[in-house]
Amino acid sequence: MAYDDLRGFLDTLEREGQLLRVSDEVLPEPDLAAAANAAGRIGEGAPALWFDNVKGFTDARIVLNVHGSWPNHALALGLPKNTRTRDQVEEFARRWDDFPVTPERREDAPWRENTVEGPDADLFRVLPLFRLNDGDGGFYLDKAAVVSRDPDDPDDFGKQNVGVYRIEVLGPNRLAIQPVPVHDVAIHLRKAEERGEDLPIAITLGNDPVISIVAGMPMAYDESEYAMAGALRGAPAPIATAPLTGFDVPWGSEVVVEGVIEGRERRLEGPFGEFTGHYSGGRRMPVIRVDRISYRTDPIFESLYLGMPWTEIDYLVGPNTCVPVLKQLREEFPEVQAVNAMYTHGLLGIIATRKRYGGFARAVGMRAMTTPHGLGYLKVVIVVDEDVDPFDLRQVMWAVSAKVDPAVDVITIPNLPVVPLDPASSPPGIIAKLLIDATTPVFPDDRGHFGTPVRDLPETGEWVRRLQALRSEELP
Amino acid sequence: MTAVICPRCAHETVDHVATSPVPGVWDVLSCGRCFYMWRTTEPERRTRRDAYPESFRLTPEAIAAAQEVPAVPPLRTAR
Ligand SMILES: Cc1cc2nc3c(=O)[nH]c(=O)nc-3n(C[C@H](O)[C@H](O)[C@H](O)COP(=O)(O)O)c2cc1C
Repeated sequence: MAYDDLRGFLDTLEREGQLLRVSDEVLPEPDLAAAANAAGRIGEGAPALWFDNVKGFTDARIVLNVHGSWPNHALALGLPKNTRTRDQVEEFARRWDDFPVTPERREDAPWRENTVEGPDADLFRVLPLFRLNDGDGGFYLDKAAVVSRDPDDPDDFGKQNVGVYRIEVLGPNRLAIQPVPVHDVAIHLRKAEERGEDLPIAITLGNDPVISIVAGMPMAYDESEYAMAGALRGAPAPIATAPLTGFDVPWGSEVVVEGVIEGRERRLEGPFGEFTGHYSGGRRMPVIRVDRISYRTDPIFESLYLGMPWTEIDYLVGPNTCVPVLKQLREEFPEVQAVNAMYTHGLLGIIATRKRYGGFARAVGMRAMTTPHGLGYLKVVIVVDEDVDPFDLRQVMWAVSAKVDPAVDVITIPNLPVVPLDPASSPPGIIAKLLIDATTPVFPDDRGHFGTPVRDLPETGEWVRRLQALRSEELP
Repeated sequence: MTAVICPRCAHETVDHVATSPVPGVWDVLSCGRCFYMWRTTEPERRTRRDAYPESFRLTPEAIAAAQEVPAVPPLRTAR
């Protein structure tokens, strides 16, 4: 099931019991953020949250936590809501192989219904903006898919980028954006600024759930996020032409904001509570001027709470971080079985692999640190045997506790690059990285006494089925 | 009523940015120096200088010293 817009997905979430409507009147602050924060503190399977009775607003419609649990992430991919996390990642990896799927251009985008331009382009009149965390410098758009093009190659569809970047509202038609220098929008901006130009930009809000997943996914510079959305949806992604910039934007967006990043301008931005569970900010960042806003009638404002993990962002970028690292490793090392890089956007990752020969596992671990995403993340890599499920942390801890000889299996490599947002990096952007080889040594590495592992009994598989059957008979 | 100052940096020039669609419920204000933005109905820890946490406060020196990210690159020179 492919969703063409956010509304269609919210209908499914509601039908599946994964959308909670809060009908009592709430304050914009601190209630909206506190409720979304609480969604991550009520156990597994949290629903999306819908608010339409917010004090001081006449017709606000706000949705939070849309991707914020494994059932919601499964439904976003059109899978049954009880699909196991590891199976979601494997299905994601399987669909990745269908990339690229050419998107489908449509004319009748619903966001064409309403337009405000020039001095009337006031974000406060279209969106019920609000603050997330106490120390945030202001109100943020933190779940928008931002579209920009390569100023040196504006007709290249693949180099057109769709990414999620935090955006602070500085005024009715002024925003600040955080382009981390390695990310595509920062490359586009650098080129525009070298040319002495502004960088045109389209900020799309309230998208179908797969657009948010591909926009936050580490893809190669010249790979189209829309072509990946098509692969993940199993149907071409519907796109439309934005009226001012001419960029390709999602057909189903609730709101499309167009303008420019003003070349060679910077303004104080932040702080903002980040995915690391720490604030970052107080730096001078690029500024956006808003020139035109197109929006659906009765637009839905989608936002995302982030704070001390886990919050929605950890679900949103979990599988989409595991899969690129898995694919890139497997290209050279088909022995790699699974990658779980779901911790803090992949600052920590666990890799399960078969061993070609002694020393192989740690070589795979080091290679992970030099994949495109691993370069700036993967500060801690744990490598486990092929029979350990990296998504089952009890098994991973068993491997670390029983297989590791700290004298030789724990390796730190000083002074490697990492995202500057890593609060442990010093100076920001530089960190030591840690490799833990928790695999069983194989020939010619003959250390330890691993020759006689206790394996599950041959009859255990049959007993698993019997116990499950007995249990389901007992359930009402 | 005393004049409103920025809860974060104590600057005395505060701009009015937006007002509630239901008249008289709240306003959104913004600091002319550090661009801190707040809604008047937020908790005091976000709206009042005396209740604003020390760790989030900004001084004029810190504002002036803020690093540029990403750095503005040199212009391409015509060949
Ligand atoms: C909610 C959310 C917020 C994000 N904020 C930022 C940000 O402020 N700056 C940034 O460079 N990347 C941010 N990212 C990460 C990028 O969207 C992500 O790494 C993406 O793969 C970048 O793609 P690109 O290299 O194609 O630009 C965010 C991701 C999510 C999901």
